[in-house]
Amino acid sequence: MTLAPVDYVILAIYFAFVLGIGWIVKRRISSSEDFLTSHRSVPVWITSLAFIAANLGAQEVVGMCSSGAKYGIMTAHFYWIGAVPAMLFIGVFMMPFYYGSRARSVPEYLKLRFDEKTRALNAITFAVMTVFSSGISMYALGLLFQLVLGWSFTASVLLSAAIVLIYTFLGGLTSAIYNEVLQFFLIVLGFAPLAILAVSKAGGWGGMSARLPEVMTHTWTYVGSASKNPMGVEAFGLMAGLGFVLSFGYWCTDFLVVQRAMAANSMSAARRTPLIAAFPKMVMPFIVIVPGIAAVALSHMSVGYAIPPKAGGGLDYDQALTTLMAQFYPSGMLGVGLTALMASFMSGMAGNVTAFNTVWTYDLYQGHIRKNAPDSHYLWVARVTTVVGVALSLATAYLASHFNNIMDFLQLVFGFVNAPLFATFLLGMFWKRTTGHGAFTGLLSGTAAAAATHGLTLAENKGRWLGSVIHEFPSTMAQNFWIAIFAWSTCFVVTILVSLASRPKRDEELRDLVYGLTDIPHDRDLPWYKRPLPLAAIVSVALIGLNLLFW
Amino acid sequence: MRDLRTPIGIFFALIGLIVAVTGVATEGRAPLETANVNLYCGLTMLVFGGLMLWLARRSA
Repeated sequence: MTLAPVDYVILAIYFAFVLGIGWIVKRRISSSEDFLTSHRSVPVWITSLAFIAANLGAQEVVGMCSSGAKYGIMTAHFYWIGAVPAMLFIGVFMMPFYYGSRARSVPEYLKLRFDEKTRALNAITFAVMTVFSSGISMYALGLLFQLVLGWSFTASVLLSAAIVLIYTFLGGLTSAIYNEVLQFFLIVLGFAPLAILAVSKAGGWGGMSARLPEVMTHTWTYVGSASKNPMGVEAFGLMAGLGFVLSFGYWCTDFLVVQRAMAANSMSAARRTPLIAAFPKMVMPFIVIVPGIAAVALSHMSVGYAIPPKAGGGLDYDQALTTLMAQFYPSGMLGVGLTALMASFMSGMAGNVTAFNTVWTYDLYQGHIRKNAPDSHYLWVARVTTVVGVALSLATAYLASHFNNIMDFLQLVFGFVNAPLFATFLLGMFWKRTTGHGAFTGLLSGTAAAAATHGLTLAENKGRWLGSVIHEFPSTMAQNFWIAIFAWSTCFVVTILVSLASRPKRDEELRDLVYGLTDIPHDRDLPWYKRPLPLAAIVSVALIGLNLLFW
Repeated sequence: MRDLRTPIGIFFALIGLIVAVTGVATEGRAPLETANVNLYCGLTMLVFGGLMLWLARRSA
């Protein structure tokens, strides 16, 4: 793929705008809360788009297209039973506690609700994980640009990291969120035409269905048994593992996304953030997954398109998106498409950096290192942390390029840590008897259960490190779903048992933190389209419709 | 910046204009596509940018 001068001009204009937005926002920053939490001042349409964009990193965009090519429309389960129901849940049920508690971060909520050790456990694992995942996506981006455009790995990684660093350093969370909105529109306007062009070239949905195996164009028909679908998952594992534990664990507890909603300018806006975000999120599969399916159909059609082969054999599905762009976009739109890819990377990375920043500054530094400093000191720490966070991500990117196995191992461990989280939050928010000791031991035993499940099972040669194999899964995806299910259940049961055996907090201490002791706003005076329940109902109906349409 | 819609509007109007003009001036075509992708996509972005600017003006 070669770029013309006009493509570079577009990329340069984009860089100028994101930096400019950072520069303009800078004037508003005078306290650490301005920098780290946007002082709860952002309008709802902005927080909702930022809510999706922060998750829509380059790995998500490239990876979803790649999974579309590999698994077909089944990939949409990640949206249609995964993300969207969880987004409804956090908006309707959980946001009153996050926002109402006045916590500045998710770990801080755990501190208010439970105790210091639970917060520290969550804050430390979260901080380490964010830095690593931003480094890993930086590595993926550098590799992609090297492969597709022949750009130097170092140059593209350094340039993109430097730009994210400058605009988050200048304007903090507000700057990151504002830019995420620009990036969201760019991702949609840059990738949607590709989906339309590729699908129409492949003969529309009908033409694609005719050319592809049935399983590629159905979401539910083939999940009755794991051997019938390419993901190797069966309905229960899919619904409980992905649809419940993993998705709710991510969308309802991950500070990267929750932070966007917590920056909203009112409780009502905070609750509506994930609900409004659910509308565009529902249709994202048509932009990010369907092109991958079209790519497979096109490569069956002898029109001169093929998914490139991988060095070690098989097809390199990760290149589906960029090769489609090269075939369907002339110079000009090609620049827009690549800028959109860059934008998706930056939105993901800025999301990581701002979340890391807040957790480090408030939960670890202020919580454990220096408690009662003047606010100007924490603002300074937050600015320094931005630089340190980006530097650590860069270091991780280089580590990833040399020690791929370490990265795989760490991602596996992070998975173990994350799997039980949702049980802790669910119990913490809805059962006032839950105690800090219960939450802490529940999290640890959930993580241990996850590790044990992995160590005692086998899937595609992964696992088995505890010696014996109790069960063999048809795919690593099924294995992951079941690890999550066991981790969640263990955490749930242990948290309840230990809570019952330990002394609960008094009701006064739990005000605005737990269901039953919190005033849930009903917003009766607002018009229906500004109330959470009607919005959630519309999304649910549309969601059921989508599932039936692609059944 | 009073309203985020202003910079977003300017950005897409500008990019849309550049892409649409490229479409008219170069008649550049992608390998698998015979339509003038630049012209149509450029106009779409121009309209989107204009809409954002109009919304920002209206509420100012």
